[in-house]
Amino acid sequence: MSVLEYFVRHRQEILELSVQHLWLVGASMLIAVVAGVPLGILVSRRPRLDKLILGSANILETIPSLALFGFLLPAPWLGARADRLAITALALYALLPIIRNTYAGITGVDPAVREAARGMGMTGRQMLFQVELPLASGVIIAGVRIATVLTVGIATIAAAIGAGGLGEFIFRGLAMVDNRVILAGAVPAAVMALVADIFFGALERRLRHSHV
Amino acid sequence: MSDLPPDEPAIQFDHVRFRLDGRDLLTDFCLEIHRGETLVLLGRSGSGKTTILRLINGLILPSGGVVRVEGRATTGWDTVRLRRRIGYVIQEGGLFPHFTIERNVGLIPRLEGWPPERVHRRVQEMLELVGLNPEEFRNRYPHQISGGQRQRVGVARALAADPPFLLLDEPFGALDPLTRSETQRQFLSLRQRVRKTMVFVTHDVTEALLLASRIALIEAGRSAGIYSPAEFLDSIEGPAREYADVVRANGKILGWPQ
Ligand SMILES: Nc1ncnc2c1ncn2[C@@H]1O[C@H](COP(=O)(O)OP(=O)(O)OP(=O)(O)O)[C@@H](O)[C@H]1O
Ligand SMILES: [Mg+2]
Repeated sequence: MSVLEYFVRHRQEILELSVQHLWLVGASMLIAVVAGVPLGILVSRRPRLDKLILGSANILETIPSLALFGFLLPAPWLGARADRLAITALALYALLPIIRNTYAGITGVDPAVREAARGMGMTGRQMLFQVELPLASGVIIAGVRIATVLTVGIATIAAAIGAGGLGEFIFRGLAMVDNRVILAGAVPAAVMALVADIFFGALERRLRHSHV
Repeated sequence: MSDLPPDEPAIQFDHVRFRLDGRDLLTDFCLEIHRGETLVLLGRSGSGKTTILRLINGLILPSGGVVRVEGRATTGWDTVRLRRRIGYVIQEGGLFPHFTIERNVGLIPRLEGWPPERVHRRVQEMLELVGLNPEEFRNRYPHQISGGQRQRVGVARALAADPPFLLLDEPFGALDPLTRSETQRQFLSLRQRVRKTMVFVTHDVTEALLLASRIALIEAGRSAGIYSPAEFLDSIEGPAREYADVVRANGKILGWPQ
């Protein structure tokens, strides 16, 4: 049986695990953006926090993913469901690029623009929502893009703790020493990463080009 | 503004010092700016002109002494309210790159809650005032116009909400001589129609003589004298002499009657 035949025969399962994978990635990215952008804004406002916040996010990033899944396992509410736990761990990984890029995007706003906005009497909030965030949006999306591609890959490891996703195929294939099975997980994951990369790349270019 | 006694200066620097990173950028600086006048700040690069403007609209606060606007210390003003009363044309332009020219010019009126049609009309008026055809420019972005046009948009933006004060930091620096001269004349006629208290920074002595009601010379963070344009041009001693000499020497080279 060729790789292609294997794919066709298991298309139902590939589809189901892809949807599951998408759920893991989508939910964790949503959490990472909702938490990461405000944290990035906070760091840009209070430079003294940058060591603490960026430092913590940096350390999280260095923990091997399998170990992070393991560490979270005994946590009371998180450990109860595998996908809950996986989503939390993935969100933690995605946090760093998003915080860092939000921070870089905001602090990268032309000082002359900032001076004009403040000097003309914009409030801090008006400046944030009308000037800083719109001008930083391209850089922020670049962070989301990096984080998404990263998460699609790391999410395959979630299968090791029973959270499902395309990693199921990969671990099964490894156990069976069958490349076709591994590919049934790896190819859809690669396609997913590629599509996310292209989509966010295009969005990023649009946001940057709207004013350059 | 009208509750201000007529002889009270609109802006007052009272022994102001501004210190940054252990260095005095401004030392014992005193200056009174009268209501409705155009005070020109003239001085070498790095002498502290921009610093003086930023002290007026509260972007920085004095390390010593007091800056008063309409009789009240800048430390006692609500900064947003203070700045909304003061149009600010910054040296580098500082247009919002993600806003069209129309949105840039209409920014403060919009923040002040003017109805959209009124903002629209006002933008039209302001663009015409600075010599830009509204139909041609309103939908462009700052990167789609020239440096001199951007400067004029900066002036239009500062004027849009009709503030009683105007701070202009080399607003015509990027203009060619013809456009610059036209713009200066427009500026003079504008000044007759709208009575504003203006502080105008320039490096150009001719521009200073043309536009100023008084000229304040700034040297290394200190005031080096205040002159009427006529006094300034006739100076044969003191700090103003160097500038006046430049004007006279240029005239001589060109063979103008002395
Ligand atoms: N943020 C800053 N940090 C440190 N030094 C500064 C800062 N801003 C200004 N200075 C210094 O303060 C002095 C006065 O600067 P200021 O910008 O007021 O000069 P200026 O008269 O406006 O000069 P120019 O004509 O070149 O615009 C300069 O020596 C400058 O280097
Ligand atoms: Mg300056």
